Amino acid sequence: MFKNHVKIAWRSLKRQPFFTFLNTIGLAIGMAGGLLISLYIYDEVNFDTMFKDAERIYRIDADIKFGGTESKSAEVSAPMAAAMERDFSQVELTTRFRDLGSMLLRKSNAEANVKEQGSTFVDATFFEMFGLDLLEGDVRTALKEPNTLVLTRTAALKHFGLKDALGQKLLLNNTDTYTVTGVIEDMSKRSFLRNHNVFMSMAGSEEAKNQEWTSHNFFTFIKLNPESDIADFQEPLQSMLGTYIMPYVQTFLPGATEEQLVASGNYLNFSTTPLKDIHLYSDRDYELSQNSSIQNVYILSFIGLFLIILASVNFMNLSTAQSLKRAKEVGIRKTLGSDKSALIRQFLTESGLISFISLLFALGLAALATPYFNALSGKSISIPFTDPFFWTALLFGAAVLAFLSGMYPAFFMSRFVPVKVLKGAGSTSTGGGNIRSFLVVFQFAISVFLIVSTLVVFMQLKFIQSKDLGFTKDQVLIVEDVYTLGEKTTAFKEEVAKLGQVENATLSSFLPTPSSRSNTSFFKEGGATAENSINMQIWNIDHNYIPTLNMEIIEGRNFDSQFATDSTAMLINESAAAILGVQPEEALGMRIIRNFENGTSNYFTIIGVVKNFNYESLRENIGALSMTLGRSTGALAVKLEAGDFMNAITSIEGIWSKVAPGQPFSYRFMEDSFNTTYKAEQQLGSIFMTFTLLSILIACLGLFGLAAFNAQKRTKEIGIRKVLGASVGQITYRLTTDFLKMVGIAIAVALPIGWYLMNRWLEDFTYRMEISWWVLATAALIALTIAILTVSYQSIKAAIVNPVKSLRTE
Amino acid sequence: MLLQLNNIFKWVNSGGQRVFLLKDINLTVEEGEFISVMGPSGSGKSTLLNVIGMLDNFDEGKYCFMDEPVHTLKEKHRANLYKQYIGFVFQSYHLLDDLTVQENLEMPLLYKKVRNSERKSLVADTLDRFNLVGKKDLFPTQLSGGQQQLVGVARALISSPKLILADEPTGNLNSKQGEEIMELFKQLNEDGVTIIQVTHSEKNATFGSRIINLLDGRKL
Repeated sequence: MFKNHVKIAWRSLKRQPFFTFLNTIGLAIGMAGGLLISLYIYDEVNFDTMFKDAERIYRIDADIKFGGTESKSAEVSAPMAAAMERDFSQVELTTRFRDLGSMLLRKSNAEANVKEQGSTFVDATFFEMFGLDLLEGDVRTALKEPNTLVLTRTAALKHFGLKDALGQKLLLNNTDTYTVTGVIEDMSKRSFLRNHNVFMSMAGSEEAKNQEWTSHNFFTFIKLNPESDIADFQEPLQSMLGTYIMPYVQTFLPGATEEQLVASGNYLNFSTTPLKDIHLYSDRDYELSQNSSIQNVYILSFIGLFLIILASVNFMNLSTAQSLKRAKEVGIRKTLGSDKSALIRQFLTESGLISFISLLFALGLAALATPYFNALSGKSISIPFTDPFFWTALLFGAAVLAFLSGMYPAFFMSRFVPVKVLKGAGSTSTGGGNIRSFLVVFQFAISVFLIVSTLVVFMQLKFIQSKDLGFTKDQVLIVEDVYTLGEKTTAFKEEVAKLGQVENATLSSFLPTPSSRSNTSFFKEGGATAENSINMQIWNIDHNYIPTLNMEIIEGRNFDSQFATDSTAMLINESAAAILGVQPEEALGMRIIRNFENGTSNYFTIIGVVKNFNYESLRENIGALSMTLGRSTGALAVKLEAGDFMNAITSIEGIWSKVAPGQPFSYRFMEDSFNTTYKAEQQLGSIFMTFTLLSILIACLGLFGLAAFNAQKRTKEIGIRKVLGASVGQITYRLTTDFLKMVGIAIAVALPIGWYLMNRWLEDFTYRMEISWWVLATAALIALTIAILTVSYQSIKAAIVNPVKSLRTE
Repeated sequence: MLLQLNNIFKWVNSGGQRVFLLKDINLTVEEGEFISVMGPSGSGKSTLLNVIGMLDNFDEGKYCFMDEPVHTLKEKHRANLYKQYIGFVFQSYHLLDDLTVQENLEMPLLYKKVRNSERKSLVADTLDRFNLVGKKDLFPTQLSGGQQQLVGVARALISSPKLILADEPTGNLNSKQGEEIMELFKQLNEDGVTIIQVTHSEKNATFGSRIINLLDGRKL
């Protein structure tokens, strides 16, 4: 019997190549999309699970509010780790990272530096904490001594070769010499350390030994005792505020108590993040690697689910639409003695067959689309063709899909009563029209929703990119690692500024693009009290900084080389003025004090207020900021005139290699760093767009099939109307409007939902666009246009048929 | 006695009024009869045939088929009954277009769960008997109307039913093909199969042993 089912199924699919094609291709696209998204999600939710004891490892975080500034830090102070290990029996082990970003390396016999990304100081407990072993070297002694480092396989191969790396000397940033004591396997792409290549011994770092309890610069991980519960650790962790931090605060704020701190609205709250949750749940001011968010996983899950539902709905729609043709068969089979369950089994065999064929197509499609999807999502996913679990899951999924989408048509068609369906040849109305209409509405509602989402995401990106940031990022070239020039930095800057195409140039490590920067505590004049304290960033800049970046001074003046006193002058932004509690014009002449640990103080006089500019992502508010004259040689920002940038870059590189032969010259455009900030949104936008297109395609396939079916069903009606004098236009209109009504309902349902949900998404941005009515109107128009184009082809085709022909079939 | 209908009524409600499709039908059919049901369009011929074939329900009355009270049986039981004893022949043949002649013949046996070897031999016998061996691998659309109906009759007979119900079996055929089918029916009847046919044709009706005339759902 089963063989017979398959045979019949295969033949009836072959007999209707058009419908079979629509069905298969729709399902295949849906499955391929669902498959890729599933692999993506599997990848996302399995971050950092490869580490031994990962479920016992936690990162210590701190939420801080002090001096008018709030921060969510993933880092805590240097002495925290040792204190936790000493005081709390729950803590088995601690490891700290002090992230250094990029670094210049030079082999002892080499002339030139090589830039290496992802370097960090790390405690020697690193290997034990994460259960790592070395490819070369001794895991028990590596990183124990100062000035030792461990390279990843990639970094080792780049500089020395795997076997030769041990014992080699490297000059770091032209200052310190380190010895390679180990080579470690590259960090997994699915780990929070995926971008790190150089692990340097913390033992040599002075900063790591200090006792500054309020300076949060160390990513600190603890491994909890197997018997302990993290919930019970929260209280002891927070108790460190009273035990260690307040006594330290009292050294510069005499008499300060925890109660005072809380009463003035300030806080320092510690918390823990499980290692495995970092990737999806942690979004703190500065992270070791860029994280993703669980929200994106949810969004993608929904999109994946939508796609599969759409495809499955298509299947139901097309199958029930074909029921007219199958009705006779059902009738005959029943009179020949078939019962309902045998028919249901037969139809399910058919949907199973289609599912299986679609699955093969889907695998092919997914394999072809993988590189594109990886580019889109920033992942490196491959289809695990050799994994038996994958195949089991895949076949199971396809079977479930076949069952779900085949169930309705099977029940629907097996219910036909033979007397009715056998009475005439084809004139029977087989019903199910309402459900088909509902399904079309449903499909189009999803498509319209996705169109709205895509429009909003892209418009928000556009909004961000064209927003007045308070400075000009265009045509600004950043020359990196200028500090390697040492004494010659100023000379280099002056040479560059003389170039014809260069408008202005400024030397500073502080550029208005997101980066890891921390706040510094200052006091208003009138005593070191909690009320007088102000937390703000302090940037060292030069005289050319403000004009180069085209920032606006709304009160006062810029630094001027004619005033010798400007060495103690300060510019602040509007946010800082607000924290000081004054209007911008009142801020001029105010004095700001910075206390140092050794008891000395610096006094600054405010000479100008800079209009607020966005130096962090537009998701954030603009924090308080101060700028003073100072030597800061991280980068040279060069404002170029419009024209051939390559020309200017070549000239600048020429000067660079003259001043510093052998040093790597690296540059970037400020615009690009700005864009990387919104990479997540860019990706989300592209993903939305791709899957919107796919879902529209699937919905159109379904609509196309339904329109064909509808025209077929109404052949007789069309013939009669034409005989009675209806024009082609009138008939086309009649056939098309039926469908447009459904699309209209879909639009009415989807627009409010899209509007609501996308407003929720926009709430993440401090600076966001309004969703205006015409965004919604555009989405509606797109959906309508697509629907009209899809349906009218079939309608016109049916309308131009000669009525004699269509009536004769009766 | 093969079957007996007692006071059968069937109606539909149309516009608040009860329209009778069958009105007080009494009919006894003995084994071996060849009955022709005649009457103008809409007189209830096909409805009567469907009621006898248990494809359609009736609203009132008693129907006994081989001493089984059909009116009290459950749907499933009834299906088993007609599957076992009744074969249908239709005006428009109603062969399955996706199946070959041979497979069409095999279909009723599959539903009766006849074993494979027996099925094969039954199909082979039938093909032989109806001279269809040369056409066994053709699809219905490759056959002429007369040949298709021949397959239809063969299919109805393959599970050796006691009763053949034929609804205008020659309605779509030309006169020569029609005559051949009627000759076939006569032959089958002589072999002991009971036949009830619906027909418009006086000539075809004469092949039968008894004629029942219907008008407006009533037996004349």
